[in-house]
Amino acid sequence: MRSQAILDSNPWAPPPQTEKRIPGNKGIWVGITCEFIEFAVLFIVYFVARAHFPDAFQQGADRLSRVSGTIITLLMVTSSFFIACSVTTMRAGRRQASIYWLIAGLLVALGYPVAKYLEIQWNLAHGINGESGIFFTVYYYLTFNHLVHATWGILGILWVLARLLFRGYSSEDYAGLEALACYWHATDIIWLVIFPLFYVLA
Amino acid sequence: MNTKNDHFPQLTAAWLVLVILTLVSLGLSEWFRAAAWLPLLVAAIIWFKGALVARCFIESHVAHPFIARVLKTFIVLAPLALIATAFYGATLARWATL
Repeated sequence: MRSQAILDSNPWAPPPQTEKRIPGNKGIWVGITCEFIEFAVLFIVYFVARAHFPDAFQQGADRLSRVSGTIITLLMVTSSFFIACSVTTMRAGRRQASIYWLIAGLLVALGYPVAKYLEIQWNLAHGINGESGIFFTVYYYLTFNHLVHATWGILGILWVLARLLFRGYSSEDYAGLEALACYWHATDIIWLVIFPLFYVLA
Repeated sequence: MNTKNDHFPQLTAAWLVLVILTLVSLGLSEWFRAAAWLPLLVAAIIWFKGALVARCFIESHVAHPFIARVLKTFIVLAPLALIATAFYGATLARWATL
């Protein structure tokens, strides 16, 4: 009884559990489901290629820059964390704090394309391109595809930030902000699969 | 009771665990690269990290059952495929040959 009262008075907690709560809005979940299906197909291609050429995949990971893969992973999880904080603060009615968290999330997220650019330069300097073997072909199309999805996410962050600055959201209505957050977290989950497949399993 | 900071420790803890597991993964690839069980452990870490993001950041435990199922299915897909490829790679290659 008392714990329920505490939960009811906690402005930071998600809205009361209803049977069919949709984080964000329905549209974003159609998009996220399509994104998951697309990457599921790409992962199947990865595993079929890995089953056919196990040696190429074991040796390939050793030639990639693990530092780059680790930095991108840390950037993704940190920006995800900041954007989750932005949703939580908006839910509690702290609009200014929500803006700061979202700006922090955006700045960290922007590090991803920068790190990817530097990684590609490093790859090319070490003679790694899309024709360096089956492992690198799969690596390039999967990671580039993820970069494209992350770029959409960054554009989404910019749009939501603009709306937030012009008071487009409130503690009662922040579905757009939460939808963007869900998309970014989903893109984060996909990277958390990509990272070990290419940079860890040598 | 001060409830204002109730949600931040959970988010921060989830982020810290994600960072630690990322660094642990790197260590695993250096120290146990020849171990036969490495794919099993990596698969478990992939699943755990995905489930953590889904639960703590997306709040999938209070989401619509369809959303929760989509997340669960996607998160478990790659770990299962990784285990199948690691231990039954030749069979999988035979099945997938055109």
